[in-house]
Amino acid sequence: MTGTIQNREVFLNKIASQLGRTRITAPIERPTWKFRPQDEVLKGATQDELVEVLKEQCKKIHTTFYSTDKDQLSSLLDEVVSGYGGGPIVTWKDKRFADWGLDPLMKQEWPEKEMDVYEWDYTRGSENIAKAEQANVGITISEITLAESGTVVLFSDENKGRTVSFLPTTYIALIPKSSIVPRMTQAAQKMRQIHEETGHVASCINFITGPSNSADIELNLVVGVHGPVKATYIVINDL
Amino acid sequence: MRVSLFATCLVDLFQSNVGKATVELLERLGCEIDFPESQVCCGQPAYNSGYTKESKEAMKRMIDTFKDAEYIVCPSGSCAFMFHEYQHVFKGDPVWEPKAKKLAQKTYELTQFIVDVLKVEDVGARLEGKATYHTSCHMTRLLGVKEAPMKLLKNVKGLDFTELPGKEQCCGFGGTFSVKMAQISEQMVDEKVCHVEETDADYLIGADAGCLMNIGGRIDRKGKPIKVLHIAEVLNSR
Amino acid sequence: MPMKISNEQFKERVSKGIHDDFMRGAVSSAQDGMGVKRRIAAEELGNWEDWRSHGEEIRQHVLENLDYYLEQLSNNVAKRGGHVFFAQTKEEANDYIRGIVREKQAKKIVKSKSMVTEEISLNHVLEQEGCEVIETDLGEYILQIDDHDPPSHIVVPALHKNKEQIRDVFTEKLGYTKTSKPEELAAHAREKLRQEYLTADIGITGCNFAVAETGSFSLVTNEGNADLVTALPKTQITVMGMERIVPTFEEMEVLVSLLTRSAVGQKLTSYITVLTGPKEELNVDGPEEFHLVIVDNGRSNILGGEFQSVLQCIRCAACVNACPVYRHVGGHSYGSIYAGPIGAVLSPLLGGYDEFKELPYASSLCGACTEVCPVKIPLHNLLLKHREVIVEKEGKAPISEKLAMKAFGLGAASPTLYKIGSKLAPTAMSPFKDGDKISKGPGPLKAWTEIREFPAPNKERFRDWFKNREEGGK
Repeated sequence: MTGTIQNREVFLNKIASQLGRTRITAPIERPTWKFRPQDEVLKGATQDELVEVLKEQCKKIHTTFYSTDKDQLSSLLDEVVSGYGGGPIVTWKDKRFADWGLDPLMKQEWPEKEMDVYEWDYTRGSENIAKAEQANVGITISEITLAESGTVVLFSDENKGRTVSFLPTTYIALIPKSSIVPRMTQAAQKMRQIHEETGHVASCINFITGPSNSADIELNLVVGVHGPVKATYIVINDL
Repeated sequence: MRVSLFATCLVDLFQSNVGKATVELLERLGCEIDFPESQVCCGQPAYNSGYTKESKEAMKRMIDTFKDAEYIVCPSGSCAFMFHEYQHVFKGDPVWEPKAKKLAQKTYELTQFIVDVLKVEDVGARLEGKATYHTSCHMTRLLGVKEAPMKLLKNVKGLDFTELPGKEQCCGFGGTFSVKMAQISEQMVDEKVCHVEETDADYLIGADAGCLMNIGGRIDRKGKPIKVLHIAEVLNSR
Repeated sequence: MPMKISNEQFKERVSKGIHDDFMRGAVSSAQDGMGVKRRIAAEELGNWEDWRSHGEEIRQHVLENLDYYLEQLSNNVAKRGGHVFFAQTKEEANDYIRGIVREKQAKKIVKSKSMVTEEISLNHVLEQEGCEVIETDLGEYILQIDDHDPPSHIVVPALHKNKEQIRDVFTEKLGYTKTSKPEELAAHAREKLRQEYLTADIGITGCNFAVAETGSFSLVTNEGNADLVTALPKTQITVMGMERIVPTFEEMEVLVSLLTRSAVGQKLTSYITVLTGPKEELNVDGPEEFHLVIVDNGRSNILGGEFQSVLQCIRCAACVNACPVYRHVGGHSYGSIYAGPIGAVLSPLLGGYDEFKELPYASSLCGACTEVCPVKIPLHNLLLKHREVIVEKEGKAPISEKLAMKAFGLGAASPTLYKIGSKLAPTAMSPFKDGDKISKGPGPLKAWTEIREFPAPNKERFRDWFKNREEGGK
């Protein structure tokens, strides 16, 4: 479906005339910038060093940090969820959970403990949002992770609801160690690359850095405002 | 080394002590001083009030006055900066822009000249007492002279130095701002005086007569026992 | 809320600000705290000046080619099924949005913080349509339920209120029964607003940076409210100032980094959301319909002129946090939704000199604003340019000042007149002397001596001392 554009020509002509020229018609090449300070941040850092940076940054963003091997992931995740008070839980529909050995936990152990585990299912429409709203814990996977700022990057699609990371009271991000990059620079490059290759950009790309917070009342930091009040990152080392 | 002194109108009229100290100090450091008689005001008060046309006449006069100078030294960061600003004011003017550029290249604030050109950091001064220093906005932010006064003050014997809290904050002078927006200026200078008092200093030192007149005038009005000194006076004391 | 937020005269507003002790305490501690955080965030990068230069070159490039990038943006938004409306005036913007509201028969609208919607008084228009409009940024929400108190800071709009005042407002308007603890107040707002998101018909947002190459735009928050505003209602309207655009994600990234460090001293804020078009067909959350309203409202008149660089602004408020004048008078004194140095530059350009002619003078030209600006807008120079325009083009300066400056022009340019004038100064001033100082000065000195002493002119001018000394052979 194509959208509409209204009132454009007169608007843009005014801009061009203010700039003292006619409208630009030939494509503009992306400029070669004189400065590129963003490439210097954590330049040449190893993956282990990036994990350390991420870990340190988590202290500043009120986020609990764990790193684990795949075989310990299930018990660690169970522990973190219990720490947050258990279910209800909402997750993306993502086969990586099974690949990482989480099916027994998510599909058996938790339901047996009478914890409600809901896996995003677009065929069920708005029920998904109601489930996310009632959930105590939301669990997603980080596609790109920014060490410098302690940020997880999520791309929405029909199986990856946006609200899984916003509506539940607490939030857990599973982070493959290989997804960690120095900073937002690499994520932006990756986003452009995906767009170039596929011609598509996810309708929602979220950069999430810890739990939601506000300093709007006397500049006192309140952690947990509209989004989750607590957040945990789990880095998985051996994927 | 021949130095042409750009004294500034505040020093000429109200703070001749600062001018005298500047001359004696530079002479002691081996400079030969001349004072071009036809110097007037640098034009900043009019320029900063939006009267560019009017101020240009003063600027041209100053450019002519100092055209043969080897080094121009000024005991005020703000007025020295104004000399650097002329080239922007005359931008595109085929006659005056090049002249203004030349003027800027040879204009130095006093402490900048001593540290960067004369390469002296200890002028052999002595002053007993507790002191703090006001960093003037134009000198630090616009002219970019940050370290020089500190380097020189550090070597003044007998001086017990404390950093001024909130030192990056304007004292509320701002030329005509001090009278045009007197209400706001008062709040700013009051906070500055509070900070000076917090340091428990005997002396407030600064490098710009305008700021010192403002802070000093308020200190005086409030009857505080703090002496206000221009850095030229401090560096000239023995 | 229009750009102009007060009918009082500038001096009255300033006087009110100066006497508001809570506000002044809040502003100065905010400035001190945020100033330090900003400085640490800038310095830890080690090459902050390069970052600023990069920010500047990106913004300058965009402004020089703005028509091109807006065309590219609109094509790409439409390609994704979004609707783009170019509004030259605020009326055009409001009419278009009103049309959507009517078509959707919308009753409830949730908004995330947006300065441009304040600028065009959108909330007022929506309320006239009978809609319930709910601001979801905590600070904006507080102001809104307090009978639309105007914002006093671009980033922390309710900075001028203390927690007890906020508690009282919550008690009166929301039936709140708990204490003035910020955590409890915020929890209450969370609970209230949750229901609003879920039941709203339309979500309205501003735009931090639009991305031309993909037709995307980004929203930067700490609370996560923009995410809920854009994830839950079926219709989304985004309103952007026409200059808030970058070529690609890579430039967006740089400006977001500059924004979060400069605004709040964070490497990144908790939520940075990059949205492209309406949701894809099978997606559950996200809007079914997306409208982008691109607003001029006076901006294009700034292009191509000596104030063009003000359009580089990314609304971080670092200049506000560094400004010693804002520190003492607070945001409401500016009488505009845009306060502080950026407000003093922008308000006369967008709202006219008649309303905002005092603002360019509300600066000591200390340059603190210019020093911290992450995209290198020469703010204090632009204030100076405003003064020049007011004097030379608008002719709005007082006659007495004009005469004084004329006399200055003559006196300062002529060594003879200067010498005579300055020689006469001690005599002229002698009736006002009190020892070596003047405590009650005449004319323009009166404003000076009301608060401080003024030195009496030296009996011997420096130039006379120097001359005598030369002639006396030292």
